[in-house]
Amino acid sequence: MVALPKPAVGQDRIPDGVWTRSTIHGDTVLDADVVIVGSGAGGATLAAELAECGLDVIMVEEGRYYTTRDFTADASAAVRALYRDGGATMAIGNPPVLFQEGRTVGGSTVVNGGMSWRTPERILERWRREAGVDGIDAADMEPYFERVERRINVRYQDPESVGVDNLLLKQGADAKGWKVIPNLRNQVHCPGSNNCAFGCPTGAKQSALVTYVPRALHFGARLLSDVAVDKILMHGKRAVGVQGRVVGDDGERTHRVVVRAKLVVSACGAIQTPALLARSGIRSPSGRLGKNLSLHPNVKLVAVFDQPVRGWEGVHQAFQVREFEGEGLLFAAVNIPPGILAMTTHGRGAELGRFMDDYDKMVVSGMLCEDTATGSVKTIGGRAQAFYQLADFDADRLIRGVALLSEMLFAAGAKRIVTPFAGAPELTGPDDTRSLYQRKIPKSSMEVVTVHMMGTAGMGEDRTRAVTDSYGLVHDADRLMVCDASLFPTPIGVNPMETIMALATRAAAHVLDNLERFR
Amino acid sequence: MSYKHPPLVRRVLTSLVPVVCPPEAVALGLTEAIVDHVELTMGALPATFRQGLALGLATYDNSARLWPPALGRRASALPLELADRWFLRWEEGFTPIERELAKAVGQLLKLGCYEQPAMQARLGYTPSAWIDEVKQRRLKVYSDDVRKAEAAITAPDPLRPPVKKVERA
Repeated sequence: MVALPKPAVGQDRIPDGVWTRSTIHGDTVLDADVVIVGSGAGGATLAAELAECGLDVIMVEEGRYYTTRDFTADASAAVRALYRDGGATMAIGNPPVLFQEGRTVGGSTVVNGGMSWRTPERILERWRREAGVDGIDAADMEPYFERVERRINVRYQDPESVGVDNLLLKQGADAKGWKVIPNLRNQVHCPGSNNCAFGCPTGAKQSALVTYVPRALHFGARLLSDVAVDKILMHGKRAVGVQGRVVGDDGERTHRVVVRAKLVVSACGAIQTPALLARSGIRSPSGRLGKNLSLHPNVKLVAVFDQPVRGWEGVHQAFQVREFEGEGLLFAAVNIPPGILAMTTHGRGAELGRFMDDYDKMVVSGMLCEDTATGSVKTIGGRAQAFYQLADFDADRLIRGVALLSEMLFAAGAKRIVTPFAGAPELTGPDDTRSLYQRKIPKSSMEVVTVHMMGTAGMGEDRTRAVTDSYGLVHDADRLMVCDASLFPTPIGVNPMETIMALATRAAAHVLDNLERFR
Repeated sequence: MSYKHPPLVRRVLTSLVPVVCPPEAVALGLTEAIVDHVELTMGALPATFRQGLALGLATYDNSARLWPPALGRRASALPLELADRWFLRWEEGFTPIERELAKAVGQLLKLGCYEQPAMQARLGYTPSAWIDEVKQRRLKVYSDDVRKAEAAITAPDPLRPPVKKVERA
């Protein structure tokens, strides 16, 4: 294999080592030591770790390579460009759950909020005890977390970047005497442009796009963007490569691309990974491939204040309210651009206009719920389709969470609150929050969204209960690895990016320690 | 994406702008721009979703003819008051298909409406100016740290555990 020239690292140009639809001119066959499908938190991290150690790595990414310069405040253009299916992906169930997957170089790290939390120790212990995962204690994971945190610059925000919406959230928590903590985020002096979900226009957010991807390229990895992988090539039980097609400007499939490799890695997220494995004829003896989908169901509410808030000025989620972490509930302030807020609002016509006229006085708050239900991912006509039924217990917790969050925002001075429950009246004071417990709120009335999909190829040593071993190597297949949130045996109750990156770093160390197996 | 609304879809969506969007959007002359925005959004959606939506809108438009108050007219030909009532019937429809169609169309139009610069200006929403301001401030105040972080991206990691270096094939 010929060494490639080292690319210049920068945020405003596509580096050398990247091939796109514009530079792949015909059917292509490539060879590598490792081929990784996906370039997000799992794929890019693994690629950088392995490339730095001299392995020849190719990442294959379905999405386009955008640079920091491409990211602007045009939210809907960003959603069309950076999210799978324009962000209109939905888990079927009651209620349907709208979910978003990043489809771009850097994956969902390009469009996430930049929260960087280690896996809670209680979760690691649960994975060890219940799922039979080896080498997963907090002490085992410590060096991997530390390594990831250095690479993506995990730190607290500079105080001047915090906006009024987040200060009001903290004020409410303080008034209630509830535990509220500053968020750890992967950023270098993030100035609070509040555009995280549409690509960071300042380059401050340390997504995989500006950290692990350029690092992997610097150490000689290659990246094929605009290439959708159709299947993993198998020779008996041994994975020998991947096959896909270049995706054209209109989504049409053009040139065929084959990458042959000694190790094949699926790192395309908890929705696409089980679909890719299923399309490739992989069957898990555990029967768990595509099962066990958890997704941290999330609802938002809108609190209207008398004072100007201008929620778009200041960092996204500066704080998290952790008072109810034991119940699996986290609260944060999450500003949403007007188009997307209007879209998810129940009113229309003049009523919508009156609601939106207060946009600059709104604090939009969201809640993450560590779910107890599990759904599934099925492959229908070659496409992944998620199914998920919100558990009654979780629905009750969402209602409780909205009531608690409302109490807190009233304590901060909110004048009225619009809940995520269709048909429920506005709340005009703390006493109204009790009505949320008293009235029947059907699940079908809940506007539930998520960006945290997990668990569809769970890890563990017992091949009758887990799809992969403790390091992501698929049971009963050879040289086939999973490296994304599919591996999580359970939901983790916090933002998953750092856990994925730490598991990828650990998986890289495992590969490097066992290189003879992959020659 | 090169998706273009079929004429029927464009006609029905145009008729729904005053039903779904606030009156000021129509007063500002944004109807066509909103429908154009829906076209952009639909271009990014899966083809099956687009086809379903087109079929649903055709059904929505034609079935109004059977509704006595419409006097045989299509939904897209109804005056605003009747168009509003017909849309409400779908929002509260007996079947999930009616309700989901009304919801999806409403969401697309509301997104298209509040993505219009004129509507955002009414709200005082000026994110581009804010982004430009803080971006410059960051580079002015923290340029040394920013440069150091960029240099670290390609620096060998001193914490990297020792590994067996392999020769490429």
